[in-house]
Amino acid sequence: MQPIISFQHYGFKYKNQSEPTLKEITLDIYPGEKIWIAGPSGSGKSTLAHCINGLIPFTYGGEAAGSLKIAGQNPSDLSIFELSRTVGTILQDQDSQFVGLTVAEDTAFVMENKTMPRQQMKQKVAASLNMVDMLEYIEHSPYELSGGQKQNVSLAGVLSTDADVLLFDEPLANLDPASGRKAMQLIDDIHRESGKTIIIIEHRVEDVLQQAVDRIVLMNEGRIAAMGTPDEILSSGILRSYGLRPPLYVEALEHAGIPIRDVQGLGSPRLLDIPGLKPKLDTWSEQAGVKQERGYSHALLEVSSIKFGYDPMHPVIQDVSLQIGAGEIVALLGNNGAGKSTLSQLITGILKPQSGRIFYDGQDISTWSIRRRGEAIGYVMQNPNRMITQHMIAEEVGLGLKVRGLPAAEIKERVENALKICGLYPFRNWPVSALSYGQKKRLSIASILVLEPKLIILDEPTAGQDYHHYKEFMDFIESLSSRGMGFLLITHDMYLALEYAARAVVLSGGRVIAEDSVTDVLSSPEITEAAHLKETSLSLFAKANGLSSPERFVQAFINEEKKGKGHE
Amino acid sequence: MNRTGSLYVTGNSLFHRLDGAVKLVLFMAWTVMTYMFLDLRVFVLMLIVGITLLVTAGIPFKRMAFLFWLMIIFTVLNGIFILLITPTFGTRLTGTNTPVIPLGYNTINTETLFYVLTLSAKYLTLLPITILCIFTTQPSAFASSLNRIGIPYKIAYAVSIALRYIPDLTEEFRSTLNSMQARGMGISKEDGSIMQRLRNLAAVVVPVLQSALHRIDSVTNAMELRGFGTQKRRTWYNGKDMEPMDWIFAVLGVVLLGVGIWLKVKLLKNFWYPFS
Repeated sequence: MQPIISFQHYGFKYKNQSEPTLKEITLDIYPGEKIWIAGPSGSGKSTLAHCINGLIPFTYGGEAAGSLKIAGQNPSDLSIFELSRTVGTILQDQDSQFVGLTVAEDTAFVMENKTMPRQQMKQKVAASLNMVDMLEYIEHSPYELSGGQKQNVSLAGVLSTDADVLLFDEPLANLDPASGRKAMQLIDDIHRESGKTIIIIEHRVEDVLQQAVDRIVLMNEGRIAAMGTPDEILSSGILRSYGLRPPLYVEALEHAGIPIRDVQGLGSPRLLDIPGLKPKLDTWSEQAGVKQERGYSHALLEVSSIKFGYDPMHPVIQDVSLQIGAGEIVALLGNNGAGKSTLSQLITGILKPQSGRIFYDGQDISTWSIRRRGEAIGYVMQNPNRMITQHMIAEEVGLGLKVRGLPAAEIKERVENALKICGLYPFRNWPVSALSYGQKKRLSIASILVLEPKLIILDEPTAGQDYHHYKEFMDFIESLSSRGMGFLLITHDMYLALEYAARAVVLSGGRVIAEDSVTDVLSSPEITEAAHLKETSLSLFAKANGLSSPERFVQAFINEEKKGKGHE
Repeated sequence: MNRTGSLYVTGNSLFHRLDGAVKLVLFMAWTVMTYMFLDLRVFVLMLIVGITLLVTAGIPFKRMAFLFWLMIIFTVLNGIFILLITPTFGTRLTGTNTPVIPLGYNTINTETLFYVLTLSAKYLTLLPITILCIFTTQPSAFASSLNRIGIPYKIAYAVSIALRYIPDLTEEFRSTLNSMQARGMGISKEDGSIMQRLRNLAAVVVPVLQSALHRIDSVTNAMELRGFGTQKRRTWYNGKDMEPMDWIFAVLGVVLLGVGIWLKVKLLKNFWYPFS
């Protein structure tokens, strides 16, 4: 059989860079295969995707070496449009991808550009939307859709082109766990029903492996580091050395000292054929799974039965109460639209509650201004680029102090302190643009820390970061919490909550539906379903292998992770 | 503004069904008519026609209230200023002077009062047609009809794509402003002098602008990957063909404009003042 995509000793160097981004890539992808291209950020996996869909060479210029054939042809002999008949791309950023003003128009976009007559187009739009189960939303605008639904619309648009290859660029990046599972299911259904070639670019291992893939291509530093079936890759234990996180149950096996080399069936949490597995894991859970009782710390922030609604008849926050103690990390979980960001705006004072009160360190702060609250409660947005306004690093950090009119000497001292805590001191005289995304994220924290708040609200702190940066950043947050700072993590990443937060508050429909330890919250099916979360792979694995206490197994894993803090 | 960023209100009135380009022709003819005359009779007639069309379009008053009051307030203020600053301006147009309201420094005369009335009617005739065009035209349908009357589709599509992303940008702007405010760099009273607040506002523009540029980049990629701009022409999902009614109204617009020009040249050359 002829490969549909064939890289032979392929290399690529972007126009403005001195080093090639791709080196010596040799990869054949055959029609009907389902391939997953994995790798940490900067590994070249996005560049590889650009080579396949034609953004290289048509949008991003540079020098190529070796050969690349797509459906037997050299892409640079075609146009990006001709290429799009073979390769359909679903981009990571659903908002940029969704260019139409309605679902129907967005689905029709490719057909419009192909000058298809209107009658035929209308039929095809309806048929494609039907395939992804979005027909009833045909007249909706993008603002009425969730991230997962927008992605389905993009998929419908690509399906209408009859492209043989579907390329998914980080399809899970902006989805909550339940939507992510649905997306992987839909991709798998289309793969099985249509026999199209599927290529998925992702760095979230466990979520991709919810459905079977044929081959994993592991990228690192511009080269293919390894290639093989999920079993081969997982049992070789090499993922972590390439900045990827193995599924949690595989990590748990390693913690329990069970050799995983040549074990079959690691791709999903199921019954494994390892002699004596159950007693070994039970013993390990028994020993390591002791729940650590936390001592009581005084409440830094206390939200007491607040209520808020833009329209008083339909409150978006109802009777919400929660507490965050000094040195405590609390996760705020919930699906999109559950009221997470409204709640954080109420705490920071951007919105005013219609009833209920908020206390900081025992004082009622209802009358405090946004500015005054900002000195006590810091708010860090998801995207650091949205918070940075200055050119130089030290200036950015000092900005909040400067507008408060502090003497220059004190500003300097406090800025340097904050930079030291955030590990940015060596860069203090650099321009902001020289920092990586992860460093900018730290910078945005430094510019909040300098105001010396006791509590910080972090909005999706790890979104879009690979495992290495994720871990580095969260360990840093944890070290701050051990200095007595309180944190509220707004997230839909369950594992982030599981490993770092002592407690979780779960919002659904504007109400607190659970407030408990994260392990307990995630093991309750009613709560996880309402909040678009899912049961952790750890407890699924424990149940599949008949362990006596799945909860203890999960707890043992958390304890080991906390103890180990890194396999580096 | 609704969340799609357009002001379109769904409906099925005559104006809803008319083609976007035809509406544009009518709007231009109407505007030219308005600016040609200074004759209350013409304006009253136009107002009656305009208001009838507006009422039949069935746009809820709540939706157009803002635009409506804005125009009314502007017209009233304009009238008051003319009366106060040039209380005898009407004399210059009619050559007569009939004083009525003493101001102390001068006296408002009937001629000026009538002139202000005519001028207000003139501005107000634009109100119903503007509201009609804005509220009954779907942006993408408008883009497709612009394309049909010969405007290149890349330019026509820009209208629709701008409307798509303006709400995203305003949302981004708002959230950046909020986070800045918490750092003490907001734009409310307590954040310092007017100058400082303006500087704070300017600082927020930087990241939002950068993010907009980044957004343009990824939207361009998304559009290119889906074949935008590769063909000489494109079809429109939301477009429609010109129907007899569209042709009738396009011709009607041009004919009325012709009649208007004839009237202006032959009969209603100047300011109409019935009391002289």
